[in-house]
Amino acid sequence: MSIRVELYGIPRSRAGVAEVLLPMNGPTSTLSDVLRELADRFPQLADECIRGGELRSGYTASVGGQRFVSQPDTRLDAGDCLLILSADAGG
Amino acid sequence: MTQIVETANFVKTRPNSERGLWGALPFGYHGCYLRVDLSEGTGESVSLDGDVLRRFIGGSGLGVYLLLKENAAHAEPLSPEAIIAFVFSPLVGSPLTTSAKFAVVSKSPLTERINDSLASSGFAIAGKKAGCDALVITGRTAEPSILIIDDGQVRIEPAGDSWGATCGEAQRRLQERFPGDWQIAVIGPAGERLVRYATISHDGRHAGRGGSGAVLGSKNIKAIVVRGTQRCQWAKPRELAALAKTISEKSFGPATAKYRELGTATNLLVFNRLKALPTRNFQQGSFESAVDLSPETLSVARERTRAYCVACTIGCEHIYQLTSNTNSSDEPSIPAALDSQPSTLNSTGVRLEYENLFALGPLCGVADPDVVLAASKRCDELGIDTISAGGTIAFAMECAERGLLDASWLRFGDGAALLRCLEEIGRRAGLGDKLAEGSRRLADVIGHDSIAFAPQVKGLEIPGYEPRALQTMALGFAVGSRGADHNRSGAYEVDFSDKVDRRKLTADAAQLAIDTEDKAALIDSLILCKFLRGVFDDFCAESAEMLNLVTGWDTTAAELQQTARRIVTAKKLFNIRAGWTPAEDTLPGRFLDQSLSDDDQAQLSAPQLQSAIERYNLLRGWQADGYLESKNLRALDLFEL
Repeated sequence: MSIRVELYGIPRSRAGVAEVLLPMNGPTSTLSDVLRELADRFPQLADECIRGGELRSGYTASVGGQRFVSQPDTRLDAGDCLLILSADAGG
Repeated sequence: MTQIVETANFVKTRPNSERGLWGALPFGYHGCYLRVDLSEGTGESVSLDGDVLRRFIGGSGLGVYLLLKENAAHAEPLSPEAIIAFVFSPLVGSPLTTSAKFAVVSKSPLTERINDSLASSGFAIAGKKAGCDALVITGRTAEPSILIIDDGQVRIEPAGDSWGATCGEAQRRLQERFPGDWQIAVIGPAGERLVRYATISHDGRHAGRGGSGAVLGSKNIKAIVVRGTQRCQWAKPRELAALAKTISEKSFGPATAKYRELGTATNLLVFNRLKALPTRNFQQGSFESAVDLSPETLSVARERTRAYCVACTIGCEHIYQLTSNTNSSDEPSIPAALDSQPSTLNSTGVRLEYENLFALGPLCGVADPDVVLAASKRCDELGIDTISAGGTIAFAMECAERGLLDASWLRFGDGAALLRCLEEIGRRAGLGDKLAEGSRRLADVIGHDSIAFAPQVKGLEIPGYEPRALQTMALGFAVGSRGADHNRSGAYEVDFSDKVDRRKLTADAAQLAIDTEDKAALIDSLILCKFLRGVFDDFCAESAEMLNLVTGWDTTAAELQQTARRIVTAKKLFNIRAGWTPAEDTLPGRFLDQSLSDDDQAQLSAPQLQSAIERYNLLRGWQADGYLESKNLRALDLFEL
């Protein structure tokens, strides 16, 4: 399976890409799996936004823009799209 | 002719021997406010007890106290009797980052409810050094004037050639007239013409919402010019410096990276993706040309620079260069000399924030970045709130397209029409005279139940957070004391988390909304920049620490939480005295009977909202309908007001 990840704001700036398709092992993955894979692929993103399979304070994730998630064991299925963005929406 | 105002009882900063805990004068304050009556030509220093200062701190909190004390709720907002207060805080002038801020508090001419708008930066420091914790103004001068506060002494001079000038040009001319360490806050042509959402500008930054610029304009005051030499002492200066250094170091880190590196405009693509980006007067939650307007795209084609407020380590201001000479109007009736005036910040640059971008872009269906940047710049020059301007124009565009408004030239997506509207608002000419009244009053004129899609709460236009897509924010908008506002309720933070389903409001969200509202009340009274909030692990506890080092108090996190509740309730008290009724705490019909056209899951009903509002009121300790009881006032030490 694969998970599409969309990056916004600082995460996009650090990774240098707007989105990436991550191949994952098995039919399902967890939020932690995807974040670890992202960290491996984009070290600068990891430095700022990811620590030990979790998002650092100040960042959040949303599955398809529908629901925000934070638990590392949140299940992600094939076809899911994960958004990584700043938790601070102040404008 | 200069009028020297007699300044009675004005005292220099009191000696340290008079300072202490409750009741005595704390460090960090002068212990007085300067009350100027423009009609009478008098100035008076009025004492502020340590007890009052501890209960309301400064900024918005002290401002609402002063308005209640002055019995300002009953006055018509643009009458001579109206009060407008410029309020500083104990942290102003301290080494704490982002603390150079002031609050402008008055009854809003747009909402006729409490209004507190905040701005930065050097004016706050100079105003406080003038020897007062607040400047309270009432009355009206006979002719266009400037108010000068020179180290506590007051005088009034003719506005001269600053009258009629744009914000930036007026400040430039006055800076020539008052060189050196004077700091200046001005209104633009819109404030002079009593546009109900006119701003007060200082160094290109604006006390933006609710029409404080019109209040100053109604008093015939073009500008306030201040300077002073009176510095407050801090209770524990060495420890304060160490704490300030620690907070500054944190402010260079990831908690503020978004603001520092990208600016607030980076919200645009996120909100568009979540279908939370108000588009074409809230008919949609996403805009097909959002990418073209995003800072990620704008940065490629345009030079971008950053600017800082005084005493700020974040530097959130991102200034974009205009790439073409977009005229503001085909037939400008404002003198051409005004149209060619440079803005305060940069003659070809414009500061771009998410709210400017959303309101003058997607909300009006405008996709041309040059037009949006030019419109934003023009709002700054005229001195009008971009959110209310964009919201009112978008509403008029929809009315025109529906045939409810005779303006065939006014259509969504028409950049020239947007710029024409702004010019006419600034001059109160043509349709602009009606647009200058805001969307609620325009709906009253248009009729045909257009109020159902006038994008406002209590008359204040809704900022760039689609209520149906962010429903805790919807609750925050509905109950907000100054109307729909993202700076007084940060409930969007809850919607951007896994604490709630952002598209399904339940009564459980009420406490979460209260928490963000209380936090905002505290930040706005300290006063600190909200962009700093991410650096704190325990905001109330850390706020207590910094406040104690400044003042010498022994306040606690629990006391500050109570202070925040007191300030929110004091605003409610003001509104009740000004005529508030429970029916005001709602959203326009569009948000309660239609799902978003591009997200049918984004749906909110009137019963859902009403249930959450009642829960909110009860959790605040108020009556279910939002009215206060005597016990509320006693419990929060508000009874004497």
